[in-house]
Amino acid sequence: MMDLLQLVVDGLIDGGAYALIGLGLSLTFGSLRRLNLAYGATAMLAAYLGAWLYATQQAPAWLVAVTMIVAATLIGWYVERLCFAGIGQDATQARGAPVAGADGREVVALASSFAIWMQLEQLAVNLLPRHLNAFPSLAVAQDWQLGELMIRPDRLGLAVMAAALTLGLAAWLERSRMGLSWRASADHRIAAHLVGMPVERLQTLGFAAACALSGLAAFSILSLDGQVTPMFGMWALLKGLVAAMLGGLGSVRGVLWGGLLLGLVESLAQASFGAQGREFASYALLFVVLVAPWQRSRERFLATAVPG
Amino acid sequence: MAAQPRTVSGHSSAWVNEAVGQHLIGLSSDMAIMSLLALSAYVLLLVGRVSFGQQAFFGLGAYASGVLSVMFHAPLLLALGFGMAFGALCSWLLAMPTMPLSGLQYAVATLAFGEMARIVLSGWQWQVLSPDGPVGPAGIEGFRDIRWLLEHDITPAHFLGMTLAILALVLVVLMRTERTRLGVALRMTGQDDTLAATQGIDVSQVRLFAAAVAGALAALGGGLYAHRTTYIEPALFDPMLGVHAVGYALLGGLGTALGPLVGVIFDLGLLDATHLFSGWRMVVFGGLLALFLRWRPRGLLDEQLVHRLSQILNWKARA
Repeated sequence: MMDLLQLVVDGLIDGGAYALIGLGLSLTFGSLRRLNLAYGATAMLAAYLGAWLYATQQAPAWLVAVTMIVAATLIGWYVERLCFAGIGQDATQARGAPVAGADGREVVALASSFAIWMQLEQLAVNLLPRHLNAFPSLAVAQDWQLGELMIRPDRLGLAVMAAALTLGLAAWLERSRMGLSWRASADHRIAAHLVGMPVERLQTLGFAAACALSGLAAFSILSLDGQVTPMFGMWALLKGLVAAMLGGLGSVRGVLWGGLLLGLVESLAQASFGAQGREFASYALLFVVLVAPWQRSRERFLATAVPG
Repeated sequence: MAAQPRTVSGHSSAWVNEAVGQHLIGLSSDMAIMSLLALSAYVLLLVGRVSFGQQAFFGLGAYASGVLSVMFHAPLLLALGFGMAFGALCSWLLAMPTMPLSGLQYAVATLAFGEMARIVLSGWQWQVLSPDGPVGPAGIEGFRDIRWLLEHDITPAHFLGMTLAILALVLVVLMRTERTRLGVALRMTGQDDTLAATQGIDVSQVRLFAAAVAGALAALGGGLYAHRTTYIEPALFDPMLGVHAVGYALLGGLGTALGPLVGVIFDLGLLDATHLFSGWRMVVFGGLLALFLRWRPRGLLDEQLVHRLSQILNWKARA
């Protein structure tokens, strides 16, 4: 019984990291209705720049964090200009129109952001060719003991930060004027444009904010491991994607629940079937959520695409 | 090979010629195999779906045909045919629940399926005893000694000829289909599925059919690959492989079945083989692809260009 409780707690705490990484992905989808496949690679290149700074200049952790957030934002801007700019010409349909359907530009955005993924990943590997690269570590060695329960305080801190960030962002998007205009331009571009909103700029801003979040997420997660490998880009994209998809891609609060669910399922699968089982479980969960009939009938995908 | 005598001018030229020849034969075989995978992505792109899971059918086809030729001593063509049928069946079964999804959800679902298939293959242990010890898929260790070509004295050059013949056959069938009602239905479904449905086309059947064909083509490529390299492991069939296939098809163009070949030749034949950008190949290829798709979203040989070219050809033929 205690073991099970420990597994559940571990899973939920790990889920915080998944929510954090999925947040930016979901935000991008909410504003552009496009999936940014270069998301993980953006975080990875930023992390490699941070690791490079740490290894060659002995930069302190805070400087690495700031560098990564700035770098991720800049890389994100590059990705947006190259792959997602000019979406306005065809994505002007009203909400509910087949934006996620078989329209040609969507396929192209998927393919070109994938191409940029490969490009960014190769750049990162060229910067630091070794498989394991040191990263400033903020891990805490001492576990907290709560009765028989063991809790890692650093991971708990990460989960709490993820939850606070997600809920805070959702509330801000709902309440603030800026959040309202951002949601309006994501909801109906033409109407938002007609009432005088700078739709293009809001979109670019949203994209940049999402990428800044990915830099922050990458720093928080990697600083607990104290190292970064070339697998990080793929890992970040897949975990973020599963978390965001589970919560209804585009929904900000949903990412938190999606991340927690993913963490829980992975923790239980790891205990029952080992490392391979853990990996399999996360893909199986994603697959089932996608093809489950209730998902389709509720049209959750579009209904919750706009936060709030 | 290292002990080859060297002349004053460098290498002995006969040996160099032979080595270059072997290399070219290997490269051409790889390109033909990759073309089959790119064609499978192309068939799905025609019906408006982008799949990031074609590497799974490539892998399943490789394993299926390897099992048949190694463990059941089947002739190569039978093994390839079995792999194709198996790939088509798996792809069709996958398409049943996933094709009704939106394009984006379909792409993610196929990616998840591809990874699930890879993990299942990593755990698959099934070996039988042969005179040279146990053979068969050994989980993460991979599947060794798929030696049908060596046992039947088929040289790489012969194998290349066979692979090219198969590829040519596939191309002829695909290009012939363009002109039929089926080909038109495929393109209509991809252009606008609602409009196609109002014209009496059973869109979901067309998509299921396309998925089965795509699965068969990928599995055929996989079967050829397994016999060419004699060794396969699950890690080879990672999402990068499948997404490259999509990239080749989009780069080359969706106007004709020759498009994916152009993509393959550009990347494998030009960028990879010449070591032009050695460590920076992906940087160049990725950037070029993204830029290219901005002004030519349907690739180099898109429908307009193909139409114009065929008009010129027809005009010449009439004159």
